Amino acid sequence: MDTLVQALINGIAVGGFLTLMVLGFSIIWGVMGVINFAHGEFIMVGAYMAWFARSEWGVEPLYSALPIFLIMFVVGFVLQKLVVNKVIDRPHLVSLLVMFAVSIIMSNSVKLIAGADFRRVNSDIQRGFWELGDIATIPRKHTVVLVVAIIVLVALQTFLQKTRLGKSIRAAAQNREAAQIVGIDIKWVYAFTFALCIGITAMSGALTSTIIPVFPFMGPPWALRAFVITALSGLGSVKGTLGAAMFLGLLESLVATYAPGSSGSQLAVITAFGLLVVTLVLRPQGLFGGLRPVDAGGH
Amino acid sequence: MLGTNGNGAPGSGSRPLLEVQDIYAGYDPNVDILQGVTLHVNEGEIVCVIGPNGAGKSTVFKAVYGMLGVRKGTVLCNGRDITNIRPQDALKTAGITIVPQLRSVFSQMTVHENLELGMYLSTDKAKVAERIDYVYDLFPRLGERARQEAGTMSGGEQRMLEIGRALMWEPRLVLMDEPSAGLAPIITKSIFKAITRLNQEIGLTVLMIEQNARQGLQASHRGYVIELGRQTYDGLADDLLGNANVRRAFLGGH
Repeated sequence: MDTLVQALINGIAVGGFLTLMVLGFSIIWGVMGVINFAHGEFIMVGAYMAWFARSEWGVEPLYSALPIFLIMFVVGFVLQKLVVNKVIDRPHLVSLLVMFAVSIIMSNSVKLIAGADFRRVNSDIQRGFWELGDIATIPRKHTVVLVVAIIVLVALQTFLQKTRLGKSIRAAAQNREAAQIVGIDIKWVYAFTFALCIGITAMSGALTSTIIPVFPFMGPPWALRAFVITALSGLGSVKGTLGAAMFLGLLESLVATYAPGSSGSQLAVITAFGLLVVTLVLRPQGLFGGLRPVDAGGH
Repeated sequence: MLGTNGNGAPGSGSRPLLEVQDIYAGYDPNVDILQGVTLHVNEGEIVCVIGPNGAGKSTVFKAVYGMLGVRKGTVLCNGRDITNIRPQDALKTAGITIVPQLRSVFSQMTVHENLELGMYLSTDKAKVAERIDYVYDLFPRLGERARQEAGTMSGGEQRMLEIGRALMWEPRLVLMDEPSAGLAPIITKSIFKAITRLNQEIGLTVLMIEQNARQGLQASHRGYVIELGRQTYDGLADDLLGNANVRRAFLGGH
């Protein structure tokens, strides 16, 4: 019983940071049809910025997260304007390859600047546990990320549903041609969306830098989880991403807890990607609804 | 049937609202699909473009609307050069909007949200609400479905919503790319009826492309036949309907 409760708590904790990590990937894909292969590297850069702020100036990742969001928002905007917008009308494969190249450039640049060592980011806020009687413990570092994830989700959902700019993003995702017809500047909407998503992604890297090891090539496993969660949730759905991330977090946690011997982490990964295959074959629209793929992002 | 009054188009004599002058355009850099198309639309007219598949009818729209580059020739709106306008500027600067052939509602938004987005360019909420009421008056069916997700409506209702959304910003000219495409005959009839009614009631100016040549011409004042990238016949809709060559080629007559 105690083991089960602990496994569920761990699952929710992991689900929280997966949500924050994956959101940007899902929305970029859903809105503009670009598969951001460099997604994991934006997490990595965010984590390195948090590490730098902590080791140089002693700033907690929780506090450096917002400035990191803003800096990477600007970086995302510029990258979209200079690179992604130029290839977005071409077939999806082109933007995918471009982002793949960007990912290699990013990880190797960071290695060049900061070295290949594993970095650990210490935090006074994100440390220790809350005891839940004798039953289980709640890790504080995860809880902080979970709370931020919920705040970001609510803010993002409200922004997309209620504001004029948010509506124009949804309109562009649902029908690109019609969006242009009513006067929406698609390329500007894309640049803003990309910037927002890169900002959130880097912020997720900053906050999770206290949980996961930070090194230049840490990105790919997280980018792959982004694929799994996006396939489960359907493209660009905020609620779907939350549901799918929680689902994957719980699944990995339960498998890791109950798997025999030391096979846990391997079995968790195998389960996650087995799920990807099964979902893609049986339910291409995802498990939790969400947007259908953009129709005009390239042919 | 507008074509039967035989008096020709309203507004003739005044300067045309839209003038397409000898335009060349295409998708492949070396191939011009349009090879010198010239046509015009007067204020208050319904003009129908007919012709075989692949003749370049839709390409004319894309060129007028800036979705495809014009290589030679000019497009004038109200006497002003709008050649190669950016699509997102067509509505704001020239008052031109388009109802595309393929479904173009925002399918996961409500009817109401779709109409709101028709006035995306306006931030005047009172004005937006007023225009939405106006569209609901024109199409009571849309008012009944205000809170329904657009993608769940029938094809005819979605087309009605597309037309309603196009009217939100009080456009000067609406381009309609095959308004009857993919609709059942009875629905087609009601769509054409709605177009003529809008023309009579609010003076809506329409340039449409129609595969269904007979019904399209019957709903129009004037028509053009486009074949192999240039216009081969033009005239009053009635005259085209009566023209032996046009009948043989496009109207299934003898």
